[in-house]
Amino acid sequence: MNREIYAYKCKRCGTMHYPFRMVCKECKQNDFFEFDTVPLPKNGKLLTYTKVYNLPAQYEVATLGLGIVELENGMRMLGQIEIDNPKMGMPVKGNVEVVRREDYDDFYGMVFRDA
Amino acid sequence: MRDVYVAGIGITTFTRLEFALSEIASYASMMALKDAGVSEVDQVYVANMGAPRVNHQTALASAVVDSLSLTPAGAAAIENGPASGGSALKAGFQAVASGMEDVVLVAGVERMREVNNLEATDFVATLTHPIAEYIYGVTLPAHAAMFTRLYMDKYGVTERHLAMVGVKNQNAALNNEWAHLQQEITLEGILDSPEAMTNNPYVAEPLRFFDACPVSDGGAAVVLVSKEKALELGRPLIRLSGVGQATDTHAVHERVEPTDLLAVRKAAADAFEMAGLTPEDVDVAELHDAFTILEIAESEEVGFFPRGEGHLALERGDTALGGKIPINVGGGLKGRGHPVGATGVAQAWEIVTQLRGDGGARQVEDAKVGFTCNFGGFGNNVVCLTFVRED
Repeated sequence: MNREIYAYKCKRCGTMHYPFRMVCKECKQNDFFEFDTVPLPKNGKLLTYTKVYNLPAQYEVATLGLGIVELENGMRMLGQIEIDNPKMGMPVKGNVEVVRREDYDDFYGMVFRDA
Repeated sequence: MRDVYVAGIGITTFTRLEFALSEIASYASMMALKDAGVSEVDQVYVANMGAPRVNHQTALASAVVDSLSLTPAGAAAIENGPASGGSALKAGFQAVASGMEDVVLVAGVERMREVNNLEATDFVATLTHPIAEYIYGVTLPAHAAMFTRLYMDKYGVTERHLAMVGVKNQNAALNNEWAHLQQEITLEGILDSPEAMTNNPYVAEPLRFFDACPVSDGGAAVVLVSKEKALELGRPLIRLSGVGQATDTHAVHERVEPTDLLAVRKAAADAFEMAGLTPEDVDVAELHDAFTILEIAESEEVGFFPRGEGHLALERGDTALGGKIPINVGGGLKGRGHPVGATGVAQAWEIVTQLRGDGGARQVEDAKVGFTCNFGGFGNNVVCLTFVRED
């Protein structure tokens, strides 16, 4: 199944946002929920990253890769990274997968890999 | 607007404390009330981040005001993440400056060692964006680490600079009997020796264990009063002369320039403007070094040093005791500890101690102007304050 994460495009001025916000950061003029949803691109370049060793209680792994990616359309998002030797600026490709499990709930987010 | 003065200060040891949350807040408060010489107050503000989640207690201010037998004074808790302390001081300032109250007790407290380290990390991580950050397992060390990597790339900061901040602040804590960490560290032990990777492992690359503040319990308190009351009480006249607060995007990735801390810049500029001061006027500063990189970045954003040169100032010794602008001479968050809700108030406690000349071995000579930066979220909610000694 091809899952998407959506950006929010202001119907008044066209500015794209991720994550969702109630009022457009640019024109501040939109009415309630006056946004179009647009799938975020999945390709981009890795801006910065880390490997975390001290994880919140729910994670039953030793380490977790995280990074901020600049997507093809210039927007940015944070995601998990599964890359052996990450480098700043490297091209990456995202896929929407389960990123956190809490009891019986699955949370989906972007996981980036070497493009 | 009326002038506002700090008439009394109090603090508990920052460490693991086996006392109830409200008792920790009350202990520091009692000290501050005795220091000021007051037994009645008009209003109490209690800064705290985790009571409902970590300690299973709500309406903390009601418990504290009664424990201190200060009823029927007004009381409210203020939760604003790691900037709770600064925010409560701002509320106290507003209450006195407006003329509505004459004597306000501001206490900050946290008891986060009640839960284990993983749960404490998760509790602090709940301040991140729920959809765009938290679900990925982002922690505050992770945010700081990604910020550090960008800062290193852009300005040439190295792991050695980070370790130098850690050594400076943790060893400064040896001069502060209330500080959590009472262990001397060296660059050799945490960076240069073959054992360094064992002594000082990564917590979130490129940040290591000694780049992060400890998880602490503790409380701090100050008594804010009008000028008339301050003169009546006869304590040294320390004026809270500037208050600035600013916010930034909740999700860190939305910031136009990810190495900018715009809320720090704005909050500091506003505080200096209100006080009629400039960064050059500051004799002693408390910056929010929850991670070593933050002391370097904040020292630039508040205006002590040009952008990208904080680490060079550190190299020159400008930020050490005896330097041009001593920063975190009481250990900072790194050495004193970081009971989250207490930190903003503890920073004020240190500055007032300095301006009174009571700093002992860590006293900055003839300190007249002090500055604090209380950094909430990952830079999305920041309070800066200036304090001036009036002779």
